[in-house]
Amino acid sequence: MRPVRDLYREMQAAHTAPSSLGPLSRYALAITLTSIALWLSLVLQAPFDNPFWFLFALAVIASTWYGGRGPGWAAVSISSVAALYFFIPPYHAWSLSRRDIPFFVTFVGCQAIANWLISWRRETEESLKRARDELEVRVGERTVELKNANEALLNQIEEQRRTEEALQVARAELARVARITTIGELTASIAHEVNQPLAAVVANADACVAWLSHQNPNLAEARAAAERTTQGATRASEVIVRIRSLINKATPEKARIQINEIIGETVALAEGQASRNGVSLVMELASDLPPVLGDGIQLQQVILNLLMNGIEAMTSVTDRPRRLVIQSRTAAPGEVGVSVQDSGIGVSPESMPRLFEPFFTTRSQGMGMGLPISRSIVEAHGGKLWAESTPGQGSTFQFTLPSADGMAA
Amino acid sequence: MKEPEPIVFIIDDDRMVREGLQSLVKSVGLRVEAFASAPEFLAAKRPDAPACLVLDVRMPGLSGLELQQKLGVENIQIPIIFITGHGDIPMSVRAMKEGAHEFLTKPIRGQDLLDAVQKAIASDRRQRKERAELNEIRARFDSLTPREKEVLELVVRGLLNKQIADELGMSELTVKTHRAHVMEKTKAESLAHLVRMAERLRTTPRK
Repeated sequence: MRPVRDLYREMQAAHTAPSSLGPLSRYALAITLTSIALWLSLVLQAPFDNPFWFLFALAVIASTWYGGRGPGWAAVSISSVAALYFFIPPYHAWSLSRRDIPFFVTFVGCQAIANWLISWRRETEESLKRARDELEVRVGERTVELKNANEALLNQIEEQRRTEEALQVARAELARVARITTIGELTASIAHEVNQPLAAVVANADACVAWLSHQNPNLAEARAAAERTTQGATRASEVIVRIRSLINKATPEKARIQINEIIGETVALAEGQASRNGVSLVMELASDLPPVLGDGIQLQQVILNLLMNGIEAMTSVTDRPRRLVIQSRTAAPGEVGVSVQDSGIGVSPESMPRLFEPFFTTRSQGMGMGLPISRSIVEAHGGKLWAESTPGQGSTFQFTLPSADGMAA
Repeated sequence: MKEPEPIVFIIDDDRMVREGLQSLVKSVGLRVEAFASAPEFLAAKRPDAPACLVLDVRMPGLSGLELQQKLGVENIQIPIIFITGHGDIPMSVRAMKEGAHEFLTKPIRGQDLLDAVQKAIASDRRQRKERAELNEIRARFDSLTPREKEVLELVVRGLLNKQIADELGMSELTVKTHRAHVMEKTKAESLAHLVRMAERLRTTPRK
């Protein structure tokens, strides 16, 4: 911003004309012009044999025009003195006859008027020019300011866009971590709760065998150990029943929701992950779907899980576009269907039946809990979740949910 | 001297696990006492016999690792076999550093536990023997008079009778008499044996 303003200032300085010459040079110009006029007059006077002083007028006009008011006056003074000495009889003397006074006064007066008129005209012109230049500088400055403001605004917009992008990545990460943490805690808890009765089962079964292996088997001890084995096994199965009911019961808030909205929100969460993996997300959502009754967050978890699985399944695909199509439709009267179709590696026929088993995973880092949990959520909503796959071409995971009105009917 | 029958202590807050382990150990003919918590074990009277302790790491109240520390502080020496449902490496390292005999994760194979128990009892038996010998030696050395102890000190340092006499300001004959008493009271078979016993006492801190 600064250099541009300075440039304008310089331009302005260059345009204020008389000051383009220094004061000394301006006076020197006046003196030179008058001296030339004097010399020419003296030279030309001889052949014409007449006082020849018109050239002084030219010297005064030129001095005033190029030098300004002061040098103009200098030219006027010098030419007056020169005229008096050289061209008014008696020549080469300072005296002035009475007869020549009006003539001389007219001469000086004309020169003075010429000087005054020209300098006035010149100054007006200059101030006008200055005003115009000032205006140009101002306009220039304003333009620069506007341009900078515009740039700042664009930067701000870009910054905001980046922040939003980062926020989205963070949100998706958070959702993923929350999912994993829940699953992790659940797993640790299951492991501990089940392991304790299993330890009892193993210890008592071993004891039972030991008592029976004696030469004289101790049947009373063996029976007691066997009974404790049964108790331990019963307790283990009770733990599992409790965990299952915990998962099923974890739908506290059911509301009427539009599945398309949930899909939209979830796709927004998965977009970062998709673009990082070069996957294009395609939404094909049917309009005027009936609302479903459910827990938005849980359904979002299911969809997010299916999207993430789909993206994961396509990371090694290079020979075809990585497309993840998420579709919503009316599956049957009073039923809403959602499908997630990828063009990934697919699921082998051997893996297919085990896909929804807990802890079954084909990935090195997978927990194997995503699909079983998703299925139990969908089933808790009164729906179904299943998969179809063609190895080498991709898989389609889909679930159906009864519509809210269908359930009420 | 007939050795008392060895005993296995089991501490686990889970009744079924506790009874299972108890039954298992009992089935191989070992004496077993089981407790549901660490304080119960501390309060019980423990017979003077070779023993080992099968201890659950995670228990409400006093945990297994805390009990191990407490026993260490009170100088109750008993080999510990830790059992845990979720054995992580830092925990087992800590337990082993504190001198745990074995670290088993649940569910435990019966044979693994029995092997560990047998090894722990054998180890305790050796240590008890060692301790008994040491106590015997200590008792013998404690029976010496102050003068005899002074003479013993210098004998062990390798001084000759004449030098000892000079050092303590007594006749060489008196030194010889004291020296004979020392050998007799400590039941030392030779000078080398005496030195060895004195050395063993010096390197083992008094209980």
